[in-house]
Amino acid sequence: MSTPGIYRRIARRETHSPRSLLAIVLAVLLIVVIAWLGTEIVIALLGAPALLVAPVDTFTSAVNLVQAPAGIVAAAGIVAAVIGLVLIIAAIAPGRRARHLLQSERTVVVVDNEVIASALARHSSVAGSVDPDNASVSVSHRHAAVHLTPTSGIPVDRDAVTGEVARQLESYRLTPPVRARVRISENGRIGA
Amino acid sequence: MNSTNRAANRLLILLVGLLLLVVGAAAAAAVLIPVVRDGCKDATGQVTAQVSEWLQQTPLGDTGVSWILPALLVLAVLAVILLIVFIVRQGRGHTGIAVRESTSEHGATVVESAVAEQVLQDAIGGRPEFVASHVSTYRVKRTPVLKISVTCRRGVSPKDAAVIVEDAVRALDLLLGRQLPALVQISGGFRARITSTTRLQ
Repeated sequence: MSTPGIYRRIARRETHSPRSLLAIVLAVLLIVVIAWLGTEIVIALLGAPALLVAPVDTFTSAVNLVQAPAGIVAAAGIVAAVIGLVLIIAAIAPGRRARHLLQSERTVVVVDNEVIASALARHSSVAGSVDPDNASVSVSHRHAAVHLTPTSGIPVDRDAVTGEVARQLESYRLTPPVRARVRISENGRIGA
Repeated sequence: MNSTNRAANRLLILLVGLLLLVVGAAAAAAVLIPVVRDGCKDATGQVTAQVSEWLQQTPLGDTGVSWILPALLVLAVLAVILLIVFIVRQGRGHTGIAVRESTSEHGATVVESAVAEQVLQDAIGGRPEFVASHVSTYRVKRTPVLKISVTCRRGVSPKDAAVIVEDAVRALDLLLGRQLPALVQISGGFRARITSTTRLQ
């Protein structure tokens, strides 16, 4: 296997969720249910009283489901169906992680969105000469929202901030590319 | 990076989801839709008779019990074993060997991955940009791949972080005389948030 092939595989796997947690939780639940059913079968074969429900009773009540109170059966059925639907969606959806690829020649570089956000916050606060605590940035798959709260009485140069943020994003060369939107509060904050 | 079988994960989730959806929808339909409800009522007696007939037709020796139940038991044990294997297989794929090469016909040269990991750790560990760093080696498609994960201090540019790590990797390339594929993972996280802002510009 060549290095580009390996790198493609790694990049794909690092930016998408493995769905391990959900799969492990489901597997554990399945093990519990199957182990319980198995125990009931053994107990029934030995002729001892059942733990919860004997296999024969499980079967008859499942077959006679229609005679059970309609409200409870319908509610339980709908809840089960909805959970099933959510699981199907989880199984099929891509499950992107909050990460970006940073272009590089020698290695594969994956960066958490929050690292990008925190770097943008620092650069925009310097460019807009506001306190770093008054700059907040959130980075999503394709957008970065920069929000600055100016110090009262000192206007913020929006173009300088926009330019600096764009320059930074360009230098990171992210995949997929991120576009920034700068928002500056109308009301300043005193003493910051 | 690890060898987790992601297709298997998704397949299990999909199967459980389909099972829940079908059983749940069938149960709801059986009590809510009158036509289905009557059909179910008619079928109840037949199904019960059919199953008890099966149980009587399949005696286990002369014990008087059907072998269907023990067979179900064996299936249950197999399913549990399969599921346990499935869980244990998650997140594997570490390797202890970075380079293995047959240098002569009398033997091979092996470079353990600890060499590469410690060289990189030494180069990166002391940098003020990083709060924490960790190097490990995985096998991807039968090739050893280095994974360098670093936790950045607040405000460090990811580009700078990547350049620092990449310089260290290139130095390792020179040392080993070959290029090992490498992944650099730059993360923030809780420790990055509570530490002081970087003073580097």
